[in-house]
Amino acid sequence: MRQQFPKDMRSLEDVFDFLTRFTEAEGVDSEAAFAIALAVEEFFTNMVKYSRGGNGGVAIDAMREGGRVTVRLEEHTPAPFDVTRPTKTQFDIPVPDRRPGGLGIHLAKGLLDDLRYEYTDGTSCITLIKQLEK
Amino acid sequence: MFNIAVNDAGVIVLAGRFDAAQTDRAREVFGAVTESAIVDMSRLEYISSAGLGILLATQQRLTKTGKKLKLVHMSKMIRDVFRIARFDLIFEIE
Repeated sequence: MRQQFPKDMRSLEDVFDFLTRFTEAEGVDSEAAFAIALAVEEFFTNMVKYSRGGNGGVAIDAMREGGRVTVRLEEHTPAPFDVTRPTKTQFDIPVPDRRPGGLGIHLAKGLLDDLRYEYTDGTSCITLIKQLEK
Repeated sequence: MFNIAVNDAGVIVLAGRFDAAQTDRAREVFGAVTESAIVDMSRLEYISSAGLGILLATQQRLTKTGKKLKLVHMSKMIRDVFRIARFDLIFEIE
C-alpha cells in the first residue's frame, strides 16, 4: 500500500488511518502494529517539524513479506538527516534535568528490528523493519 | 480519538490515542495540576514521545514542590514504551 500525505501535522490522523487499514488487511499483530504506528508517527512528525524547505509531502509505502513488515517514508528535502545516527538523549540524569529531545527516534529504534536511511538525488528515504511474532 | 478528563476523585483519566496531534488539550489539563495526582491509563491505547514529553514536563514542575504523578493501569505495550524511554525511573508506575 502506498499513499502520499501533505507535510502537515493535520495529516497525522490520515497517516494512522492508512496504517490501521494496512495492519488489519495484513493481519499484523497488535504489538507490531503499535510499534509501527509509533515509529511512523515519530519520523513523520520530525519531517513536518524540521522540514528544510523541501517540496511536496511524504509518501508512505507499507508492505508485508512473510513474517516481516517494511514501511518506507520518502520526502524531497534539500539536506539529508540520517536518523540511524546515535541520538543525544540522556537518560541517567536527575528528573529535573531530563529533556525529551531525541526521545522519539530513540523509542522508534527500541521498538523496531531494523532502521535504514538513504539520501539520493534530493530524496530522503527512511525504511522501518518490524519482524512479526510467529 | 483521544480523551482526557479529571474524575470526581481527582484522577486524571486518559483514553484512546495520545499522539502528537493531541497535545493542546493534554497540556491544558496537565498544566492545571498543582498537587500530586494519579493518572489512570487503563483505557489508554497508545502514547508517543509527544505524550511522554507532556508527562515529563508535568513531573518536573511538580517535583520542584515535592509533588508527583503516579501512573496506574498501564498496558504492556505502553509499559514497554516507558521502559525504553527509561521513564520507569522517573514515574511511580503501578
